[in-house]
Amino acid sequence: MTPLELNDIQGYLIRGYAHMMYSRFVYLQINDAKSAKKWLAKSWKTMTTAEYIPKKSLISNTHLNIAFTYGGLKKLGLKPDTLGTFSREFRQGMVSPHRTRLLGDFENSAPEKWNWGGPGNTPIHLCLMVFGNDKESNDDIEKDKIVCINYYEELSAQFTENGLEELLYIDGQTQPENKEHFGFRDGISQPIIEDSGRIGPKDDIIKAGEFIFGYKNDFGVYPDTPLIKTEQGNLNLLPPDAEGSGLKDIGRNGTFMVMRQLEQHVDTFWSYINNQTENEDGSINEAESLKLAAKIMGRWQSGAPITLFPDKDPGVISDINDFGYSKFDKDGLKCPFGSHLRRNNPRDNVDDHGVKESLKLSNQHRIMRRARLYGEIFEGSPTNKAPKGEVGLLFCCFNADISRQFEFLQYTWANLPKSKELYNDPDPIIGVKEKPSAGEQQNFTVQDLPVSRTVKDLPRIITVKGGGYFFFPSISVLRFLSTI
Amino acid sequence: MDQNSTTILVPVIKNKAQDLLDLLAEIKDDLEHGNLPQFEELNIIHYARWVVIDHGKSWINDQAERTPKLLFVIDYDGNETDLLQRLGTDSAAILDKVYSLCEHFPFNEKRNPESRLAYLAKHTIKDAAVYIGAPGRTVQQIKEERNLRDFIRAHLDSKTWDNLSAQAIHQEIKKVVLSKDAFMFLNEKTKMPGVNWLGLAFLVLVLLILLPLILVWVLFIHFFYERKDENFTRKRSQLDDEFMTELEKYEDFKNQNQFTQLVDMKAGNARLITIKAMFLLSRSLIRFFFVKGKLMGIPTIHFAKWVMFDKNKRVLFFSNFDGSWQQYLGDFIDNSGWGLTGIFSNTKVFPKTNFLMTGGAYDEERFLAWSRNSELVTNVWYAAYPDLSIKNVNNNTKIRVQLMKTLSERQATKFLKLI
Repeated sequence: MTPLELNDIQGYLIRGYAHMMYSRFVYLQINDAKSAKKWLAKSWKTMTTAEYIPKKSLISNTHLNIAFTYGGLKKLGLKPDTLGTFSREFRQGMVSPHRTRLLGDFENSAPEKWNWGGPGNTPIHLCLMVFGNDKESNDDIEKDKIVCINYYEELSAQFTENGLEELLYIDGQTQPENKEHFGFRDGISQPIIEDSGRIGPKDDIIKAGEFIFGYKNDFGVYPDTPLIKTEQGNLNLLPPDAEGSGLKDIGRNGTFMVMRQLEQHVDTFWSYINNQTENEDGSINEAESLKLAAKIMGRWQSGAPITLFPDKDPGVISDINDFGYSKFDKDGLKCPFGSHLRRNNPRDNVDDHGVKESLKLSNQHRIMRRARLYGEIFEGSPTNKAPKGEVGLLFCCFNADISRQFEFLQYTWANLPKSKELYNDPDPIIGVKEKPSAGEQQNFTVQDLPVSRTVKDLPRIITVKGGGYFFFPSISVLRFLSTI
Repeated sequence: MDQNSTTILVPVIKNKAQDLLDLLAEIKDDLEHGNLPQFEELNIIHYARWVVIDHGKSWINDQAERTPKLLFVIDYDGNETDLLQRLGTDSAAILDKVYSLCEHFPFNEKRNPESRLAYLAKHTIKDAAVYIGAPGRTVQQIKEERNLRDFIRAHLDSKTWDNLSAQAIHQEIKKVVLSKDAFMFLNEKTKMPGVNWLGLAFLVLVLLILLPLILVWVLFIHFFYERKDENFTRKRSQLDDEFMTELEKYEDFKNQNQFTQLVDMKAGNARLITIKAMFLLSRSLIRFFFVKGKLMGIPTIHFAKWVMFDKNKRVLFFSNFDGSWQQYLGDFIDNSGWGLTGIFSNTKVFPKTNFLMTGGAYDEERFLAWSRNSELVTNVWYAAYPDLSIKNVNNNTKIRVQLMKTLSERQATKFLKLI
């Protein structure tokens, strides 16, 4: 057991900053590496760490974290040999012909159409994550916003003199009940990093190496951490490679961050569900509509798992997460096999494996999610489905192995229509193709008695608007980067 | 009807390797537009691939001079002679185009079904072990059973079934299905292959008897061989980018993918004996036990096989599977690590092993990197039913078998769950 070096880990990896309801994700370009490093030499101290602060009053009302793209590290001047030790996914970024196939980014989600991170956009070098919380008030997003924006303005006033140029920003919000725009409570199930000081169900406790470099992962080996190949900068700031290669480890206490801006088509989603469940006279059958939507999602809007509450939403906001599928729902009669949540985290029921084996397999593909809402806060439902303007999710997650974690989930468990024994069922939330090929069906199967039902012709309800792979370094690596 | 697999290896005419690669690239393009009638129309080929080997640098920097060769691997129904006969007749055009760039292919005027057959037959090489995910199922049967399942599914979706017993529903489906000419094939009886428990028990017994010998052998390998091995130490991030990009050009277009791997045997008879013993064990397990769509716990493989050639100095591995190999492989290390290590640790530059059991495939990061690094570009790959997973194929047969039986209410409920 290796205790986590929490004061060297940037905080957002360990905590979701849920009390900070307003945040601004600022995407920047480095115009002058020298000035940027000078800025980094001071500002590494202002980055929020994962250190636990027991006294609430001592927690700062603003938080700040930072992440770099491959292009950003290159621009800062990290030597090519060293850059070459980062994983291929990170070096390539989210856009390559092969990756686009894996992630299913076609038609309106094609990288050519993205607002940022695509081939037609100015390359992003780093992302600053700015958070604010008004400590006088409780869950007041407007007040939090003022704190966040003030802090942002303080920071942005210095961008130019520090060689940084702001390309765009996206404001990420949370909602007191943590509901996303389709109206479902989100972010309930999260892996718990072993030894991070957080507590939760034991099935959710995952080896630190799945999320942080420098520690062993679920396979009992160290993740593929980036290392210093050519000496530069103040190497005393860096720890040695835990695996014993003798090289300095630039990854330790850091990880990879995946970001994707997903526009949500609330109207398409609820109109489709309403259509599938409408009464004979064509009117909306609200109860059935909510139920089908819950089957598709895997939880009711309140967050209550449909596996435990198969008939109707218990109504109260729920954080129930300590459950499995194998015992109560082996046949998918409550939560269908194809539901968004079941397929992306099948818990103790992967394919036809036993409980122990399933848990192990599920846990080899977990991600630490940090999604926030953008656009005007809206809570969708069968009867409330027209938000003002564009709304969506700024999806963000942390993982040490982008290929085995984030990309596996998006490709193998979401896009491939073959989960469990299914035939033509992509993930109904994030895996449906906008234009299926000729003759290709896209269904959602509701396991039922005496026979299961097919919900046909799923529409694509999200559009990818931007995205990128980032390196989320440790505090000491930030310091080191200022010395190269 | 049985499924078989044939591997044909021929040298490419000197200086024609590039022409051949270009030609195969053209064929691949045609295939992507759904156009390879030469194989499709035979209706007996499950998978086929052409791979040009030894035209580039060896990944273990082997200095031996090698001439480029063309591999042709076909998984099919029936016997080899029939296959080669039909290829030489119905697929003559494409065959002539490809093999006119290879050594010893009959000259223009001498090309006929017999001479083509003789040529291909002469160059076949023996398989070390073949795995089939749906043993006994022909291409025709797989397609028919797909249509059957799709029909039943559509029929179930066409109305409501409340208040009917599972038995009654089963009966009605049967009646509707049997009234259709398209499903006349159902009159032919079929059944799912089962585990041969007797064979398995015999195998276990043999292994138990041999156990002392096996233990001594493992110690012997460890102290006299393993500790002197040159090991594969790279991680995935350290693989050649250009080569990875090349491999990726051929991947993830369909829900199925292919994998071709070429590795060299370590020197010495001890290694050869070990790998041969592992292949023998694999063959036995495949025959007795891995008959239900899972190979060492891997539930995504349609056809896979190992081949040794060049006087047992080199090993080829081929696989046709669902999903993405790189993403999946890690999931199977727990169940299949011993087998993969037992076989591949006898080949050069494998991740470090101990006692043929630990390390090796269990070293996830290096094993994945090794697997990717020793992979070859598969120049042309044909798959007969890319829309079906191997689980689908087996499930479809189960549906068919159960449909034709008389079922109790409980069995009928179970049957309906399959659809």
